[in-house]
Amino acid sequence: MDVKYKVNRLQTTNEIRPLVDKHWADLRTAKERGELVAWASGPTFIFAYAMGMKCHFMAGYSAYCGGIGAGEEVLKVAEMAGDLPETCSYHRLHMGMGEAVARGIPINPQAILPMPDLMVAGRLCPEMSHYAEGLHRRFGVRVLPIDLPAVANIEDMPRVREFVYRQFKEVVIPTIEEVCGKPFDYDRMSEILSVLKKVATLRNQCWEFFKDKPSRWTLWDYGVSIAPVFYLMGNPAGITYYEKLLKELQERREKGIPAIAPDGEKYRLYWDGWLPWAFLGKFMRKFTPHGAVVLCGRYPWEFFPHPELIDPEHPVESWADLYYGMESHLVYTFSPKGTIDLIGKLIDDYSLDGLIMFSSKTCRVMNLAQPEVIDVLDKKYGIPGVIIEGDMIDSAMISDAQIETRLQALYEMIDSRRR
Amino acid sequence: MERVLSKIAEVTSDPYAYVAGLKERKNKKIIGCFPMHVPEEIVHAADLIPVVIWRGNEPVTWGHAHVPPYDCGITRSFVDDAVRGKLSFMDGFVFHIRQCLQAGEFPFIMERHFKPAYQKILYLPAIYPGDPTRDFALKELESFKTSLEDFTGKMISDDSLKKSIEIYNKNRSLMERVYEIRRAKPEILKAKEVMQIVWSSMLMPKEDHNELLTELIKGMEEKSVKAQKERIKVIPVGCLCQTLQFDILDLIEDLGMIVPDDDLYIGSRYFANPVNLNGNPLKALADRYLTKTPLCPTKGVWDIHWGDEAIKRMRDNDAKGIISVRVKYCPPHTCYYPDFRSKMAEEGVPEVMIEMEHEIISLEGVKTRLQSFAETIGGV
Repeated sequence: MDVKYKVNRLQTTNEIRPLVDKHWADLRTAKERGELVAWASGPTFIFAYAMGMKCHFMAGYSAYCGGIGAGEEVLKVAEMAGDLPETCSYHRLHMGMGEAVARGIPINPQAILPMPDLMVAGRLCPEMSHYAEGLHRRFGVRVLPIDLPAVANIEDMPRVREFVYRQFKEVVIPTIEEVCGKPFDYDRMSEILSVLKKVATLRNQCWEFFKDKPSRWTLWDYGVSIAPVFYLMGNPAGITYYEKLLKELQERREKGIPAIAPDGEKYRLYWDGWLPWAFLGKFMRKFTPHGAVVLCGRYPWEFFPHPELIDPEHPVESWADLYYGMESHLVYTFSPKGTIDLIGKLIDDYSLDGLIMFSSKTCRVMNLAQPEVIDVLDKKYGIPGVIIEGDMIDSAMISDAQIETRLQALYEMIDSRRR
Repeated sequence: MERVLSKIAEVTSDPYAYVAGLKERKNKKIIGCFPMHVPEEIVHAADLIPVVIWRGNEPVTWGHAHVPPYDCGITRSFVDDAVRGKLSFMDGFVFHIRQCLQAGEFPFIMERHFKPAYQKILYLPAIYPGDPTRDFALKELESFKTSLEDFTGKMISDDSLKKSIEIYNKNRSLMERVYEIRRAKPEILKAKEVMQIVWSSMLMPKEDHNELLTELIKGMEEKSVKAQKERIKVIPVGCLCQTLQFDILDLIEDLGMIVPDDDLYIGSRYFANPVNLNGNPLKALADRYLTKTPLCPTKGVWDIHWGDEAIKRMRDNDAKGIISVRVKYCPPHTCYYPDFRSKMAEEGVPEVMIEMEHEIISLEGVKTRLQSFAETIGGV
C-alpha cells in the first residue's frame, strides 16, 4: 500500500441530512398537528402518502436510527423486553422503540416515532409480517397487511402480479379510505409517481458516473442519497437534490476528479445485500486504504432502475407492474436467479473487479444462495467474490477481523488474476 | 402394539433406507415435500409418493459451502443431504417458499446440484383478510396440480383427489385417536415413540400407515397402564418443521415429567384439521391451509394468540407447565416468542424455553434448564 488513498468527499451529499431530518421531524410531530400517521413496510407507503398521511418506512427508519447512532440503545431496550438477538435487527429496532415509549425508558428523542393510526404492512419478506404482528400484539397497532411474494421464477410473475394488484385495489385502498374518511386520491398518487420518475431519471444520469474510470463517486455516496427515490418519494426537493448532484459529478468529470485521491481506485467492487447503515464509515475505512471503491449493489439498484416504465397516468397498475410486471420485476432481484441476472449486467456495465456479498446474520432476505451466486458468476465472468458476515445495525454481529481477512483475500484474488 | 412400534422405529431410525426401499417396492416416484404446509394429497392423487423432508442424521459438512451457519437445522441438513447425494432416490421436490425466507434458497441450490426431474415452487399466501388471499391460495394449488399432471402426463380427476383426501383424513382421524388415548393414559407411550409415530406418517404411504395405526390403536385400547400420579404433566410447544432430538424428549421424562399432549409440528400440528370432502377438493385443501388454528407463526395470523392456544391445551390436559422448543435460527418462532412468553407471564403459566440445534451443543445445559423447571412446577 504505497499509494495513500483518500476519499474526495462530495459536497452535495451534505444536503441530504436536512431533507431526511425534516421528514422524520414532520412525522414525529404529525399528531400534534392532527395529522394521521401510518407506518409501512415494503413499498406500501405510497398509498398512505397519496392520502396525505405522514408515513414511516421500516428500512428507512432503521437506516435513520443507524445513521444518527441510536441503533445500539434502541436494540438494548428490545433485548430487555425479551427480543432475542438473532431476530431481524429492523424488527428489534421497532420493538425497542415501542417498548422504550411504553415503559418510559429514555432513548434518543430523534429515534422516537408516534404510534401509527394504521400500519400498512407489506410482507415482502415473511419477517415483515412478524414485526407487524408483534406491534399489533404488544401495542394494539391496527394493521393493514398485504402479501408481496418475492418471486423465484420469472414465469410465476403474472399470477403473483394479479394477486398483488387485487390486494391493492380490493384491500389496501378501501381500508385507507375508511381510515382517512375520504376517497382515495388517485391524482396525488399520479403526482408522486411523476416526481419519482423525474428523480429516478436524474439518478440514472448520476449512475453513469460510476462507469467512469476512475469512478467519480462511490456506492456509499449513493447510499446516503437513496431517500429521494424511495421514502421521500413525491417530494420535489428530491429533484433539486439530484440536479445538484448531477452537476457536481459533471464538474468532477470535467476536472478529472476521482472518487478517491490521488488517481482513483485500484479495485472496482460490487456490494450485495443491505447497506450496513450503522457502519458505513467503518466499511469505508476498510476499503479506501486499499484503493477499493464500491460502485454498485443489489439493494441500491432496486429503486426503480427503469424510470421510463413508471406510468403516472395509471398509478396503481404501474405500481404493481414496477414490482411484478414482465418488464420491470423489482421483486425478482430477491431471488438467486434474479440476483445473478442483475449482477451479470452490473459486471458488464461498471467494469467490476470483484464482488462483496454482505450476509446479514439477522435478515436473510438478501442472503439467499450467496455462495452459489458467487460460484455462478465466477465461472461465467471470472470475477471473484467473498462473503462477509455482519448486520445492518447490530454491532454485536460485526467482526472486524473476519471482515478484514475476507476483504484482504478478495484483493489478493483480484491481484492474482490480473497477473 | 410392540410389533407396530418396532416397525415405526425401524422406519424412522433410517428414513433414507426406508424411502429408497419404498420407491423400489412400490415402483413409484418419490416427491419430497418440504415442511410444513405442502398439501401432500395432490401428490398422492398424481400416483406419486409424497414424503415430508426430514432433518438429517449427521452433522452438516458439505452443506456449509452452500448455506450460512445461521440458517436453521433442517435447512442446513437438507442442503447437506442433497449435495452429498444422500437423497438421490428422490425424483422431485415441492417448496413452499413463503413460509420462511430460508426456504427460498432451496429451488436454486437443487437446480444446480441435484437437478430433480420435478420441482415446484409454491407461494401460499399469509392468511390476510380479503378475497384475493383465498383466490390466490386456490390458484397456487391449481398450479401445483397442473405441474404434477405435466410431470406424470396424467390428469388428476376430482374423484382421485377426493379418494386421496379420504385416505389422508383417515390417517388424521387415526392419529387423533392415538392422541386421545395418550391423553387418557399418558404413560402408554413415551414421548419419543409418539414423535416417531407422527414422523413415520410423514414417511410412509398413508395406506400403510393407516394399517399400522389401526393395529396400534387396538393395542393401546386394550392395554392398561398404571397411572404415575407423581409425574408432572407438561406440554411441549413449537419445534417447527423438524424433529426434536429424542434425547431431549427422554430427558423430560427422566426428570419426572410426562407429556400427555403436544403442540409440535411433528406432533399434533401435522394431523390437525381434516379436509372437507364436500365440493371442490382443491378448494377444500385451500380452506384447510387457510385455517388459522393450530396457529402457525408462518401464516401471518394475529387475531389469535398462540399463547392462548397453548394455555388452553395445557389446561385441557391438566398439565402444569409449557416447554417451548425453539429451533435456533427459526425466524417465525423467534419473532413470536417474546409475545408468547409475555402471555405466559401474564397468565401465571410456568414456561421454559429450550433452544434446539441440529447438532446438539450441550445436553447438560438443556438438562439443567429442564431440571430447574421441573422443580419449579413441583416435580422431582
